[in-house]
Parts: sequence; C-alpha cells; structure tokens
Amino acid sequence: MTAPATRSPAVPTAPAHRFTVNGRPVEVAAPGGRRLLDVLRLDLGLTGAKEGCGEGECGACSVLIDGAVVDACLVPVCQVEGREVRTVEGLATDDRLDPLQAAFLATGGVQCGICTPGMLMAGRAFVDTLAPGAAPTDAAIREAISGNLCRCTGYGRIVEAIRLAAEGAADGGAESVHAAVAAAAPAGADLPTAAPGAPDGSAVPVGRAGLLDLDDPPAITPRTLGEAYAFLAGGGWRPLAGGTDALVERAAGIPDPRGYLDLAALAELRAVRLEDGALVLGAATTYAALRREPLVAVHAPVLAEMAAQVGAAQIQGRGTLGGNLATASPAGDSLPVLLALDAEIVVGSARGERAIPAAAFFPSYRRTALAPDELILRVRVPLAPGRTVAFRKVGTRRAQAISVVVLAVAWRWGADAARGTWRDVRVALGSVAPTPIRARATEAALEGAPPTAEVAAVAAATLAAEIAPIDDVRSTAEYRRVVAGRILHRVVRDAGGW
Amino acid sequence: MSGLIGTSVPRRDALAKVTGAARYAEDLVVEGAWFGLTVRSTEARARLLGIDRDPAFDWSRAVVVTAADIPGENVVHLIEDDQPALVADEIRHHAEAVVLVAAPDPATARAARAAIRLRTEPLAPVLDLLAAEAAFARYEIAKGDLGAGFAEADLIVEGAYRVGHQEHVYIEPQAMVAVPEADGGITVTGSLQCPYYVHAALARALALDPARVRVVQAETGGGFGGKEEYPSMLACHAALLARAAGRPVRMTYDRHEDIAATTKRHPAVVRHRTGVTSDGRLVAQDIEVIMDAGAYATLSPVVLSRGALHATGPYRCPNVRVRARAVRTNTPPNGAFRGFGAPQTELAAEVHLARIAEALEVPAAELRRRLAYREGDVTATGQVLRHSVAAIDVLERAEEASDFVAERARTARARESRLLDAARAGTGSRGLHPGAERIASGVGLALGWHGAGFTGSGEKALASRAAIELAGDGRIRVLTAQTEIGQGAATVLPQIAADVLGVPAESVEPAPLDTALIPNSGPTVASRTTMVVGGLVADAARDLRAQVEARAGGPFVDNYRQDALTHGPTRVDARFEGYPGIEWDQEHYRGDAYPAYSWAAAVAFVDVDLDSGQVAVQRVVAVDEVGRVVNPLLAAGQVEGGTLQAVGYATIEEMGVVDGRYRNDRLATYLVPTALDAPAIEAHLLEVPFPDAPHGAKGLGELPMDVGAPAVIDAIHDATGAWVTELPATPARVLAAIRALEEDRHGEPVDEGVP
Ligand SMILES: Cc1cc2nc3c(=O)[nH]c(=O)nc-3n(C[C@H](O)[C@H](O)[C@H](O)COP(=O)(O)OP(=O)(O)OC[C@H]3O[C@@H](n4cnc5c(N)ncnc54)[C@H](O)[C@@H]3O)c2cc1C
Ligand code: FES
Ligand code: FES
Repeated sequence: MTAPATRSPAVPTAPAHRFTVNGRPVEVAAPGGRRLLDVLRLDLGLTGAKEGCGEGECGACSVLIDGAVVDACLVPVCQVEGREVRTVEGLATDDRLDPLQAAFLATGGVQCGICTPGMLMAGRAFVDTLAPGAAPTDAAIREAISGNLCRCTGYGRIVEAIRLAAEGAADGGAESVHAAVAAAAPAGADLPTAAPGAPDGSAVPVGRAGLLDLDDPPAITPRTLGEAYAFLAGGGWRPLAGGTDALVERAAGIPDPRGYLDLAALAELRAVRLEDGALVLGAATTYAALRREPLVAVHAPVLAEMAAQVGAAQIQGRGTLGGNLATASPAGDSLPVLLALDAEIVVGSARGERAIPAAAFFPSYRRTALAPDELILRVRVPLAPGRTVAFRKVGTRRAQAISVVVLAVAWRWGADAARGTWRDVRVALGSVAPTPIRARATEAALEGAPPTAEVAAVAAATLAAEIAPIDDVRSTAEYRRVVAGRILHRVVRDAGGW
Repeated sequence: MSGLIGTSVPRRDALAKVTGAARYAEDLVVEGAWFGLTVRSTEARARLLGIDRDPAFDWSRAVVVTAADIPGENVVHLIEDDQPALVADEIRHHAEAVVLVAAPDPATARAARAAIRLRTEPLAPVLDLLAAEAAFARYEIAKGDLGAGFAEADLIVEGAYRVGHQEHVYIEPQAMVAVPEADGGITVTGSLQCPYYVHAALARALALDPARVRVVQAETGGGFGGKEEYPSMLACHAALLARAAGRPVRMTYDRHEDIAATTKRHPAVVRHRTGVTSDGRLVAQDIEVIMDAGAYATLSPVVLSRGALHATGPYRCPNVRVRARAVRTNTPPNGAFRGFGAPQTELAAEVHLARIAEALEVPAAELRRRLAYREGDVTATGQVLRHSVAAIDVLERAEEASDFVAERARTARARESRLLDAARAGTGSRGLHPGAERIASGVGLALGWHGAGFTGSGEKALASRAAIELAGDGRIRVLTAQTEIGQGAATVLPQIAADVLGVPAESVEPAPLDTALIPNSGPTVASRTTMVVGGLVADAARDLRAQVEARAGGPFVDNYRQDALTHGPTRVDARFEGYPGIEWDQEHYRGDAYPAYSWAAAVAFVDVDLDSGQVAVQRVVAVDEVGRVVNPLLAAGQVEGGTLQAVGYATIEEMGVVDGRYRNDRLATYLVPTALDAPAIEAHLLEVPFPDAPHGAKGLGELPMDVGAPAVIDAIHDATGAWVTELPATPARVLAAIRALEEDRHGEPVDEGVP
C-alpha cells in the first residue's frame, strides 16, 4: 500500500477534457461532473442527442463511446477523456446517409423523431457488434434497443430497419444531408436559430455552456488506489464507477457531495481472475463484462444470467457490481445472487484491506458495512463444484425494470445415501425486506430434503411467512409475499422434475 | 387527380430527423434567454396565505411573477376559463403552479425557486371520484323505454369497470421559449399541438391584441393529446416571465415535473346493467359513466361527451340510457389523450359484452356479429347510420387474419387440460402453489368505433379555414394550423393537395406552423386532420387548379410555374361549411353525434405467467377501417403506435395517486412498454369511403386506442378464466384474479393475511 496522503490535491474547477467527437478532436473546459449530454448539446452545439428523462430511462440521449452505447445523461465528461464519442450527427458521411438512417426512412421507423437519434445509435452499436454474416433475430434486435423508448411507432418498423441494415440490405443512398439541415430551420424562419454542429457531424464549440452555471460537481480521476484512498480520507468525495445510480440521484435533486472520485482509471478494479479457489471480480466489473467473461460463464453462470436482466444495453455497459453493492438497494439484482454464492466483498482504504461476507454487508436499509474512507475493491465468489443456482427476477416489464421480487437459490445435490436431496441450500431474496436477505428458515426447510411436492409446499409457506415485504410504488406487500412463495415453489418443482 | 391518394409518399420531416438536424424547442439557441422555473403547491387543497421570499437570496439576480403580476385575466383560456395561470387564493391540486421565477442560468433559477416559501392553510381535499359531488359536466342520453326493455329481458347482466390515469409519455417533455417583441407583443415557440389554443390563451392572460401574439411550433417530439391544452399554460408562464425579465425566457420541464403537473387520461368508473334475451338480443342498456376531471374543467366536458357517446359500444339496442358525469376532485386536471374518453367507455362496453356472451354461453365473436351496427341502424342518440358502416367488415377481417376460431379452440383445450391437471393435483394452499404449467396462452378480441372529427355541430361552429398558395416563385404551399406531431400531417396534407393539383407530392410544401402565416384550421385533435382539414385543402386545391387552368388554358402541372411568374401569387382560402344532413341537438343529446365513424377490431395473443401474473402480449392483429387511406405507410404507423399505447394501458401503465399526488412520477416508476414488451403488431387497413369528405378519408389517429385494451383483457380471460375489471391488469391484479380462481377450485379461502 502506498502511504496515505493527508490532504486532497487541489482540483481545478473547469479543467480541459480532450476526446474526439465523430472523429474530430475536441477540447472542452468544464467541471468533470458535467454530463456528457450537456457537453454535447451546450458546449459543442450538437443537439442531436435529446433529453427525455435525464435518468437513464428513455435512451433519447444515447451516443456511442468507443463503440458502446451509453446514455449521455448518465456519463460525466471526466469519463470521456481520451475516448471516441459518436453522435447521430456523425452517422452520415460524405453526404451519404448511413445505411441505418436510410433503413429508418424506408421502413417508416420515424414518426415524431425525438427517439430517433438514440435509436439509431443503439442500432448502430448492435449492428457493429454482429459477427459478419450473422442474421440477427427479432429478439436480439429488440433487446438491443430495449433501453430506448419510443412512444409513437410501436417499435416494429424500427426493428425492421435495424434488421435491414444488419443484413446489408439498406443502402445509404445519396440523400442530401445538407438539404436535411437546411430544411430543419425552425418554423418561424426569422427566429434566432441554433448554432448547430456542422452537417458533417464535426463539433463546433459555441461556448453556450461556458456562460451557464449548471451547478456541475467537480471530478477527480486518481491514477492509483493510494491516490484514491487519499481523497476518500480527505472526506466528501463520492466514488463514481458507472454513474448509473449516482447521476440518477443527482437528477432527482439529491444534493451533490463535494465531487466525484472517478474510479475509471483504476484498472485493478476491472480485473476478473481465479485466485485461491475463488472467482475474483473487480468492483468495476460491468454487467456487460459479466455477460461476456468466459470465467463467469464457467464458474458462476448465474451472474451472467442476472446481468442479462439488468436495465438494458446502456445500463449493462456502464453499471458495475461495486456500484450495485455500494448503493445497497433492497432491489439490487446482484445482491441476492452474491448472498446465495457465499461471496465476500473485499474493501480497502489507506488503513488496509478487509473481506466482508456478503451476508454481513447490508446492515440496514441502503446502508453498507463500508467505512467512509473505504472503497469496494473486488468480490470473491468461492468456487463450489457441483453447485446449482437458480435465479428468478420478477419485474413489471421485460427490460429497464427494477425488481419487484428477485430470488436466487443455490444448492448442491447430496451424494450416496443422500442422493436426490439438497445440501448447502441458500435462499436469498431482494425487494422483500429493507435489505437483501437470506431466508434462513426456508433454507432450513430445504436443507437435506429432496425437492418433492411436499417439501416445495413447506418451503413456499415458510418463505411467505418469513419475509415482511412492504407496499411501495412498484408493487404491494401481498403480491411480493405470494410471488416469492410461488417462484420458490417453481424452482423446487423444476429441480424435482415433477 | 394524380393518383397520389393511397400511395406511401415519404415523410417530409424524416430526413431531418434521422440526421439529428431537426430542431425541437430545446435545440433552439435563443441569445440571452433566461431560464424559467415554477414553484408548485405541495398540497392537494389549501388556502394560499402568502408567498415569502428568503431575504438571504439576492433577488436582483432573478425575476419573480405571481398571480398579482398578470396583466390580463388570470386564466388559461379553454372551455370554462376556470383554471388560473397561477394560484391567486386557493390551491386546488398538488403541483399547481403558484409562482414563476427566471434567472440567467439554471443554477441561479433553481436557487431562486428554492428561496420561495408558500404559506398555506390546508383545506380538506376531495380525492375520490366516487365521493365527489361537484361535476363539470353531466349528460344523459336516452332512447326507447328502459323499463320496458328490462321487462322483456330474460337475463340481466351487471358489471363495473374501473380504469386509472394514463400518462402520455411523449418522449420530449413540454418546452417553450417566449421572446418579448419591441412593440409590446410576444412570440412564443415551442412543443405544441394546437397553435391557436396557445394564441388565444396568451392574448387573454397578457391582455394583448391578438395581432401582437405570435405562436410558432418547433419540431414536436410527440403529443398524443398531451400537448393539446397544457402548452397554453406553459406558454402563458414563459410569456409572463419574458415580459417581467424584458428578455427571452425558456421553460423546459424535466420529466418529473412533466409527469407531476401535466394532464393525464381521465380515470373512470363505468357501470353497466344490461337486459338480454335468451336468443341474444340486447333489449336494455343502462350505463353510468363517471370520469375524474381533476381540479379544473380543461377539456373534460368534451372528453366526457365523447366517452358517453361511445359508451354503448357499436351495438344495436332499442332502449338505452347513458348517464355520464365528469366530477371535480383535488387532483391535477385530466385532459386530452388519444381516444378522448372513448377508450375508457369502450373498454367497459367490450368486456361487458364478452361477459354477456359468457352468460348466454355463446361465443362472443358470434354475439358481436349478431349485434354490431349495420347500415341503417340507429345509435343511442337516434343517429341513423347511413353510410360507411364497417363493424362487420373489421370483425370478420380480424377473425380471418388471426385464425381466431382455431386459436380459440386451441387455447380452450389447453385451459381444460390445465384445469384437469390442477384438479388432480388438488393441493392448493394459500395461493403459493402454482400448477404444473407456468405459461397460459390466450387470445382475445374486441370491436370498436370512433366518431371522426368534433362532436355534433362542433366542426360547424369551428368554421375552420385552410388555404393553398401558389407563390410568385412557383412554390406551392398548403397553409393550415395542423401540426406535425409525428402522425404525418406535414406529409399528408400536401399529398392531398398535390393529388388534386396533379403535381408530384414533393412540389407542395406545408407552410411553417407560425400563426403569423397560417389560418386557423382548428386544433390537431379528434382524428380530424385528414378528414376535415384534408377536405378543406382539397377544396382549396381544386379551386386553385381551376383558376390557373382557366388562365392558362392547359393542365395545371404544365402551366403553374409560368402562371406564377406572369400572374403573380394566387392564394385560395376554403372555409368549412358543414357536412350535408348532419343535425345535432346539444341540449338533449339527440341527433347525428358525428359526421362519420371509423371502425376497428383487434385480436390480442397473450401469455400469462401463472406464477407471477405477468402478461406478455405477443401479437396483436389490428384491423382499422378509416374511409380512404391517404398514405398507407403513415396510416399503418398510426395503428401500430396506437395499439402499443393501448397494450401499455391494458397491462403495465399504472399511475398511483397518494393524497392527490402522483406516486409514479418518474419514468423509472411509470413504466411504458419497451421494444421487448411490444407485441408483433399486424396492421390491416380497410376502406369504406366516407362519401361526404372530398377524398373519402375518416379519422384514424385515435381508433386503435379504443380496441387494444379490451382485446388484451379478453385474452387474459381466455388464458386464465379470470376477468380483470380494473385497468391496468398489473401482475398483482392478474395474480389476485388467478388465485381467486385457484382457491375456488380448491375450496379454500384466499389467504388475506398480509403481514
Ligand atoms: C435505467 C436504469 C435501470 C437500472 N436497472 C437495474 C436493474 O435492473 N437491476 C439493478 O440491480 N440495478 C439497476 N439499476 C441501478 C444501477 O444501474 C446499478 O445499481 C448499478 O450496478 C450501479 O453501478 P454504477 O457503477 O453505475 O454505480 P455508480 O452510480 O457509479 O455508483 C453508485 C454508488 O456506489 C458507490 N460506488 C461505486 N463504486 C464503488 C466502489 N468501488 N467502492 C465504493 N463505493 C462505490 C458510489 O459512490 C455511489 O454511491 C438501474 C439504473 C438505471 C438508471
Ligand atoms: S435522457 Fe432519458 S436516458 Fe438520458
Ligand atoms: S418516433 Fe416519437 S418517440 Fe419514437
């Protein structure tokens, strides 16, 4: 460990951020906590990305960072440093439309158009990551744009357009992009007009934001853990990983802390490896990484299954395990899974590192066992050959849904005389109590028992009696209690094969 | 005619939209514009005692506007003029606007807003629509002899249906920029549906000569009715601030404020009592409709009227009574939303009809075929349906296209075997034991109708004007107040003109939506754009063509450019004169309620998760009869989008209200369908032209909203055997209905023990 520094270095209020936009280098002076969306729209005059919610829900602000789709309303500009941003203005090149744009025109994928720039970027990211020659399924396309709401079209024509582009069936054609820009002057032609980005998509700084006080928090990006610890010890700095919780809280008017402590430069937080009989996942491992990481697929596939049901592409690409843990929402999807897997959370500070069992990490509602100066470093999932884990998330819709009930059940099949019975049973749930919980009485009811109808009945009844959910904006206590029982019943039934 | 009607002329606005060049209100850079914010009530009802400004804030950095600063009348002009622009004395709903502030930058504006305190004294609010006594409107429709009808009945079927609020969720929140003009006038540019509503409201609140008020529509990111009346409020606010600040002021709601403060679809309770004969005739329909208007009238009288007029469903019945009221509660006002009152009452009518069929033990589709209106039938208001009646056509096409009878047989077999299986297992306990199968599939059908254009004599009273102009440089422009809000107005109206003129579609442009240029062709609502205004445009175009051809002695297409050069500009205005033979008695609610009706049927396929009550709508076959289809691609887009809004309404779009405040006031909690939730939607368009509109088109925009939800509810019933009579059919409601059936089967009481 590096020696703790005792004071935070001075942080400039509006440092210069350098990155590229649609292939051109730009430099923007702004507090590091300014949203990329504001930088694009206000500093750079690129108004293609729209703001429909400011909370990661609608996708109207979608842009690409290094090819991955993100909600620009949830990305602080400090995290764009040195990276490649693409916006809708950069899709058409040399006066030719991108095939995706042409396909949207051909199928009727555009109505009011407010979702269109974001849809195009989500579609572009999807098409770009397809294996050459692969024919995309309808379901895959729908999943790829499930973080982008459209209220006009019913989606069918958008899906069709993306399919056409993916199959190479759409041709950009020679539609004049300049004509489009000219035609887009606001209705009252003599009104003051926008200073748009140039038609070729390059950014023209108009400095509008420079005149505005947007109340953006500063940000600091430590290069080493020691530096990060020093800031934390100094107090007031808020760690920032994917920002998908932190920037939402800010949008909801929850007062900003002193500034963001951006964890993006700490590569060790992203490492995934096997070590001492455990799968070790860095705190900054994203849901997207969980879905594609081979070690996860082999040793804890339930994490990939869970990750696939979080938010949608934009959230999965940015949201992290560490953020989910630190937010400690009772509805956090990874938390019951980590409980069922007997995971340990390794945290660190200038004072050193310590490991906290997941079961001891959530002392009370939205509280964690972290001290104010501690960072979550990694999660250790002990390898348990022969372990089966079932995961079930119940939400109100099929993407972008916070869990109404989330359940993870782990067990190992008994051997020899105990064949056909469950051993080392873990039953963990989210959204049924102030914290994610393990249902110990239910575990006891299942431990050593075979997954029969009788056992399922007892377990479901035990669970329903053991949890104490509440009514809230997403559902009712009664519903949660009953559904928890029913889905556990189903897990036992499926395992028993009856 | 150049044969453009019925062709998918490309959208004019699409290229700008796919390149990001389209400018919505928030995209306009207005030099020196300040940022305006609203201080809102936090109580459902209270007396406003005073407004305190925190002396610690430097008030020289901001402007403040209260009710006392309004130069004109403190109303947002609409039907009743009962809604103030800013609260003067009594707060009547949560999130009501009380004070406005503006400052040079967002941070200062936020600080100013936070430095204002409202001193209030709470008053007892009325929150429940069933308990509310005051009503903004009451109607009664009566036909025949209800008592005699019930006396003739072999069976009386009763049902009560309830629907909650629905939020529009246009993806672009409300936004407006006001610029004070040197002559004391005001120019307002924003996201809006009805420029002349805004225009009238501004003149009234600011006490301005209408000639000094100018309203311009920016590109608008969705409306669905939500930008019909509310923009008048926001425009008044922005304009008041702009005049106070002496500079442009921009007001853009964030999503939270947009949901908390703006209008919703009216919640409603609809009760049916129906007399039926054993041979399947309806002999008496007694219907009560109660809509929750919220705190002010806004458009509720008209919404209620449409709801009442569609409440019987499109079914023959000699004795009818419909009693309808829109009650006042201390909740934010409800207003226009695609369908305008009809989706609520048609949901009830359709679900009720299916339950009548169940009671009679006949297939509902069969009963519908027997009862649905045909030409010559008489509606509850006594209107004889003389032409363009297509209920049977849409019904049959929907059944064919969905293979309805065979699908129903399949789902019935699956349901039977599930029930047998459950009976065999027979263990049910406290609702915690789902059966062996997790997914139950169902298919449901609904039929609907939608009056095109304004109710009764509304169109005639409106006397809309539209114009066409051949400019001196040979350009042809269509001038109307019909806004492009995604539905394709900017493409369809020029297309109709081009068809009449015999020129290529791209040769005719829409005029900019700027009240300095365009005549008042009425609001962009009520599915009237294509039928009513399209008719006017066609009339004007015919006249223009005749004038030019008379001068040139040859076809318009070959001569108009030269004509423009030699003769100079020609402009033709057309004024709406009324459809022949339409008579309406507003006082007694008798006569021809609408000039024509459009017809729709939908078949929904659902999978219900029996563990959780989650409903996945997999496929919807939507058949819509709209007179003449002007632009098939745009029309299909309307059907698909409207159908998905109906599916969301039916399943997941739940707006909780706590103490008069919306609980689901963010997009994280008010959920609309994503691409993964959306069914595959197959739109079928049928044409039974309306003879009195010049090109035969009737309304289209709202129609799919009327049938989607009841089709889904019918499908849930087909899957589970349970009727869900309250929308939305959330997982909790569906599961409760499933459990009630399970418990019935197992003979055990439903466990009510909530810990
Ligand atoms: C549209 C949308 C959909 C969502 N869907 C889901 C869902 O389906 N399931 C679900 O569980 N969640 C969901 N979320 C919530 C969120 O995405 C997750 O909780 C995510 O894991 C947060 O990670 P992050 O890296 O973005 O956190 P950040 O926002 O960066 O941080 C969140 C909190 O954790 C702290 N923090 C982050 N990293 C560390 C660290 N290493 N050490 C100490 N503290 C740290 C931060 O200070 C902050 O307080 C959704 C959010 C949005 C906006
Ligand atoms: S604005 Fe809605 S996701 Fe960013
Ligand atoms: S086109 Fe309007 S929201 Fe998608």
